[in-house]
Amino acid sequence: MITKLTIISGGLREPSSTRLLADRLDASVRTELAGLGLKTESFWVDLRPLGRQIMDAMLTGLVAPALESAFETVASSDAVIAVTPAFNASFSGLFKSFFDVLPAELLSDMPVLIGATGGTERHSLILEHSLRPMFSYMHAIVSPTGVYAATEDFGQSSALGQRIAKASADFGRLIQSCGVHQRRDVFAEELTSMEQLLGGRPASQT
Amino acid sequence: MTAIQFGVFSVGDVTPDPTTGRTPTEAERIRATVVIAKKAEEVGLDVFATGEHHNPPFVPSSPTTLLGYIAAQSERLILSTSTTLITTNDPVKIAEDFAVLQHLSEGRTDLMLGRGNTGPVYPWFGQDIRDAIPLTVEHYRLLRRLWREEVVDWEGKFRTPLQGFTLAPRPLDDVPPFVWHGSIRTPEIAELAAYYGDGFFANHIFWPSSHTRRMVQTFRRRFEYHGHGSSAQAIVGLGGQVFMRRNSQDAVREFRPYFDNAPVYGHGPSLEEFTAQTPLTVGTPEQVIERTLGFRDYVGDYQRQLFLTDHAGLPLKTVLEQLDLLGEEVVPVLRKEFAIGRSAEVPDAPTHQSLLAAKLAAEAEPSDSDSRVKGLTK
Repeated sequence: MITKLTIISGGLREPSSTRLLADRLDASVRTELAGLGLKTESFWVDLRPLGRQIMDAMLTGLVAPALESAFETVASSDAVIAVTPAFNASFSGLFKSFFDVLPAELLSDMPVLIGATGGTERHSLILEHSLRPMFSYMHAIVSPTGVYAATEDFGQSSALGQRIAKASADFGRLIQSCGVHQRRDVFAEELTSMEQLLGGRPASQT
Repeated sequence: MTAIQFGVFSVGDVTPDPTTGRTPTEAERIRATVVIAKKAEEVGLDVFATGEHHNPPFVPSSPTTLLGYIAAQSERLILSTSTTLITTNDPVKIAEDFAVLQHLSEGRTDLMLGRGNTGPVYPWFGQDIRDAIPLTVEHYRLLRRLWREEVVDWEGKFRTPLQGFTLAPRPLDDVPPFVWHGSIRTPEIAELAAYYGDGFFANHIFWPSSHTRRMVQTFRRRFEYHGHGSSAQAIVGLGGQVFMRRNSQDAVREFRPYFDNAPVYGHGPSLEEFTAQTPLTVGTPEQVIERTLGFRDYVGDYQRQLFLTDHAGLPLKTVLEQLDLLGEEVVPVLRKEFAIGRSAEVPDAPTHQSLLAAKLAAEAEPSDSDSRVKGLTK
């Protein structure tokens, strides 16, 4: 059994420090999972090339093939690492927009490791006040430890590596205990049958 | 009998013509809608359906008023909706309005139910959008009883109770109007339609064909599950939109500003992307024929095809030219081609006459074979 890991990177420039953090999280989580005896395969969803399609989907509901395939990648994952640059004290608009157009049920019960990058460490709490609430809302299982990397972290040798290792260890155990992600599919699932609908279930459950 | 009905459905938007900047008045838009419906009959189409909206920039807030007026000026045209809001309308009023329309039009009436996706319309009519599905289920169940039972005692969650209520007038010949259920992406609506053995109409405008295929497959599978017949016997309708000129490049050139500025998909994907990924066809009548014939490859043989033609600020003259092309060049070929290879098992499009004939046939049979018409009595 291979654990499918999908890394969603909201980095905008080339090279991107967001992608750099995402690479290190990916490598570290894979090492951790290997230590736990799990085989891992990584898949990447870079948001920059999907920018126009994300906006088209937002404006018109039309999901272009490349975006559909990114959704499919997420849907078939067992775990997700999501990394965004910090813009104006929150995630980037592109990062948020991707999750706004992603079918809401796809992240349900999905283990997610959150990461962010920014110019200074002053933005580090965006992990807790922007990313974590959004993924909780989408019913993801958000790993307790996220990783924030400020520009100067890429110059110093020590602390970032340790934080990445700590977050990966937590996430590895989370993935292991969650097991294979059960994909939700409203068509493949048994439909809420008419008998149930007529039974007058509370509105909040329908 | 008509195997597959063709027609037009109208959203009823009042949109500035982007090429002139001119916005029609509400009066002009409403009168244009009547002209379009009459033209649909004149060129040999079968159905005209109007949307229902309760906010600007839309005009059709009172569909049966509009359809009654059209009924008086037409002979053959079936008058329908796209859609009637089963959530925010009182089901008693829907039952009354469409029963009267049925009598006035001498049976040329059916309707498509939908939930409506404009949030504020729910509170304006005293409802809550979070109850959309339970409202649909409860209201529709009551609507069916009002049309089928002489005296109705009823109590539910959303509407004031009824004691000893008799709908007046009764449906024409005691045959309720045929009901379609419209949806873009909600599987529960396919389930509702399948449970009652009603028609299912896939919007088919915004979403790629793969999504329409899954919705219709779900409906057909559940239709069979609920015992109304084989999956091929389920009644299916599709939307679609086209813009035609004799020369393909002329069609693209003329339609592009309307597409680029359309309220629903303007300023998003390009016309080329949209035509590649959705059923929208902009080109020659031959191209429209070829594309439309491809629909049955993924939904199976179906009963109703409606086209959206009068939107995004297109001038009336242009819309009427589209109807000419549809009626003269496209639909006759589609009727002929769709008949080829259509299995004998696939039912013709339902009409008042066919429903009446089925009812009389069922009544003539011994009562112990009632299970065959289970869906009509639920």
